[in-house]
Amino acid sequence: MNAPTEGAGAVVLLVVALAGFGAFAYRTGKLYRYLRLGRNEDRTDRPRRRLRDELVIYLLQGKLFKRPYLVRGLAHAFIFWGFIVITVGTADLLLNGIFKARVPGTESAAFVWLVDVFAFLVLASIALAAVRRLFFKPPRMHIALDGYVILGLIATLMVSLVVFESAGIAADLVATGQTAPPLAGLFAPLLRGPAAGAVFALSWWVHVVTVLAFAAYLPQSKHLHIVTTLPNVYFRSQRPRGALALIPDIEEQESFGASGLRDLSWKQHLDGYTCTECGRCSDSCPAAATGKPLDPQKIVLDLRDLLLAEGDLLLKDPAAAGTAPAHQTATKPEELWGCTTCAACVEACPVTIEHIDKIVDLRRSLTMMESAAPPEAQRAMTNIERAGNPWGEAADTRGAWAEGLGIPTYADAPEAEYLYFVGCAASFDRRNQRVAKALARILAAAGVSFAILAKEETCNGDPARRIGNEYLWQQQAKRNIETFDRYKVRKVIASCPHCFNTIANEYPQLGGSYEVVHALQLVERLLAEGRIALGAGAAETVAYHDPCYLGRHNGIYEQPREVLDRMPGVRRIEVEPHHRERGFCCGAGGGRMWMEEKTGERINHRRVDQIVAAGRAQGAPPATVASGCPFCLIMLDEGVGAKGIGDSLKPVDVLELVAARLSPAGTPATSEKGAAPG
Amino acid sequence: MKILTCLKQVPDSTTKIKVAADARSVVTEGITWSISPYDEYAVELALEHKDGDPATTVSAVSVGPARAKDALRAALAMGCDDATLVTGDGVENATAAEIAAALAAVVTDLAPELVVCGKQASDDDQGLVGPALADLLGWPHVALVTKFAAAGGGLEIWKEVEGGHEVWKATGPVVLTVQKSAKEPRYPSLPGIMKAKKKEIPERAFAATDGPRTLVTRLEPPPQRGAGKILKDGDPAGLATELVALLRDEAKVL
Repeated sequence: MNAPTEGAGAVVLLVVALAGFGAFAYRTGKLYRYLRLGRNEDRTDRPRRRLRDELVIYLLQGKLFKRPYLVRGLAHAFIFWGFIVITVGTADLLLNGIFKARVPGTESAAFVWLVDVFAFLVLASIALAAVRRLFFKPPRMHIALDGYVILGLIATLMVSLVVFESAGIAADLVATGQTAPPLAGLFAPLLRGPAAGAVFALSWWVHVVTVLAFAAYLPQSKHLHIVTTLPNVYFRSQRPRGALALIPDIEEQESFGASGLRDLSWKQHLDGYTCTECGRCSDSCPAAATGKPLDPQKIVLDLRDLLLAEGDLLLKDPAAAGTAPAHQTATKPEELWGCTTCAACVEACPVTIEHIDKIVDLRRSLTMMESAAPPEAQRAMTNIERAGNPWGEAADTRGAWAEGLGIPTYADAPEAEYLYFVGCAASFDRRNQRVAKALARILAAAGVSFAILAKEETCNGDPARRIGNEYLWQQQAKRNIETFDRYKVRKVIASCPHCFNTIANEYPQLGGSYEVVHALQLVERLLAEGRIALGAGAAETVAYHDPCYLGRHNGIYEQPREVLDRMPGVRRIEVEPHHRERGFCCGAGGGRMWMEEKTGERINHRRVDQIVAAGRAQGAPPATVASGCPFCLIMLDEGVGAKGIGDSLKPVDVLELVAARLSPAGTPATSEKGAAPG
Repeated sequence: MKILTCLKQVPDSTTKIKVAADARSVVTEGITWSISPYDEYAVELALEHKDGDPATTVSAVSVGPARAKDALRAALAMGCDDATLVTGDGVENATAAEIAAALAAVVTDLAPELVVCGKQASDDDQGLVGPALADLLGWPHVALVTKFAAAGGGLEIWKEVEGGHEVWKATGPVVLTVQKSAKEPRYPSLPGIMKAKKKEIPERAFAATDGPRTLVTRLEPPPQRGAGKILKDGDPAGLATELVALLRDEAKVL
């Protein structure tokens, strides 16, 4: 089918095309200059992984098919793949209409089939999307006119495409030897008649003009994500998810965190352009779910809107500071302080937006520039500074829990293979001291050579860093690294996922690289190697609660479950649907452990409800909820206590269950008894 | 307004204090030192005044050994404009009168219109230096202050009393000794910390006097608290009887 652009038609099309693409280029040029207002940040390391991400996340739409978004995700993927195929077709139409040339391959039967099939798939998906928006509005989706305009434009494109193809067939415009679009051909009989040629020409023009209108409209719209997702995925952070960005040479800096739009990196602004306003982040946010003012999507969109509103001003006047994003609205600080850094938003985002980095950058400005952290958080930081723990317990007594238990300190046993980094919670919180003791018993039973640092250990700094006090984190980290290096520590065990995460993923930023394992990873290995054996314990149903800094931040889902599954008598249940990568935070991360929770329902109470409900739904009410994090344990304990169900649901650490089942006969596999006559 | 805050460096409240072998002093090794909590509230009150009136300058002064510079630096980081350390031989055993005299000399040189300090230091809990300083200067003194504000050419002062507060008025220079107030001392900003690191802290010589003095003759740690007892085996009536017996015979509270 040749383009109906004989005579002046080609010139008209050229003018319309230049107008459409010109409008696109003008607006995107402006957006690019706004984006460059952001500070520099190198995002070009690990190019191979970046290309792999591009393939999986962009081309294969890898992050769209997550529970519970499978159908919608598939609909989106069809629209997206259709968009790619049809864009090639569109390029061909324009080339053909203006220059009478063809894009190579577009005349092949395979391509004709592809366009034809995708046109209908896209149309069906668009219908699904429209019906959802109109009648089954997802709770936190941002519904605006923009979405309908886009759906309308795509629908117009697909209908006009099918109509001009059908009319073209009806008017016998398919050249001999060329494949006619099979599905569109089904409608051709309806259009047969003297007007078929005119219908073809009209719908062809409607199609190409809509394409160009679409190009002009795109950069005004959230739909720009079809363009920006490409670079946004490529330039996504390749840091471990649990690691925040380092402020290098902090002593030399004058400004800390994002006090203005210029202090956010260009990538943070690209995130804003890329947000599709799908609301999946807010859908999975524990703070938003329990009535806090935090809404991760709003964090992203507010920053984008501020950039669009003030970009011109900031470009014109390099001295202009603009509105401080941490005070963009009166409730903004409260939004920011509501975050538990649980990464549910980051996990859910299909276009790899980095919510936590933005929140922490803004917190950094509030904490380090303005001293405006909540008073309880300030108290925690002062305590870390003065006592090396957020509770303000005497630093001297850090090792008191271990006294009389035969647990060596590094000072006594510098040759120990593993350092057990106990952490503040297990050192000072009575409930969690039992977990530390449980781990010590397990390690002793397995014959693992380990030692603790007792009063030479100090807070790893995680709460300070997440409250936005990068300086205090660096001080704490350097102090620990110095101690580790003095004892030539190479392997570290942590029973706290926060200690584990910051030592494993963040200490390397300051030159402290160690082989770090979480206690449950090690215990799983000890069990698999037969170095410890578990005797029969009481039969019980145990729900496993995924700590965010084990699960989502570090991908450790299987080993804790493995450990539970190896316990005779234990029936493990999942807290469906809030388990694994959709696990629901206990409410203590991001320094929230030390802040009051005054607004809405308490997150830990919601979590306890979920655990109870999951047990009921599976017909297996758990007697125990096991986790692998001291803060989860404290929060769950408080939750069952407040709900008065402490007798029927007991929060524990998986390590305690292991220690209670340690079989006295559990002999190490390497035991000399192997030589005994059999 | 020109404000002088006087502060003492004491063992931080998170530090576990151990009595030294001589039974008259504490082990200083391993102690984390910080500004005495009431003095920290005094600095906060002065800085709050400065927040509301940028023309205010806040100076800090401490009488103590060289390590007390860290406390002064912490005050600078919080936002004080300058700091002075009075130090020299014998300063660690200085009497309240000697400290007050050293501070009075600083007041004469710096000429502040207001002096604020904590109501007492958290190490010896004597509460003498503030009133002694007021006496030496011949200035009035108001104790247990939780708030103050400029009013009608003078100063309006909130003083805590049982179940409420009184509002006093000072017409000229005054020494205030500060009680714990509603606003927690601020956490310093990082630019504040960095600036404080670079600031010079001038030293003045401490002069001991031959006046009468008191000496600590004996320190002993509070008795160890024994472990609690939980009664759980038995019927309620039996447990109650057992409880009463224990309260009467062991705890001797009945």
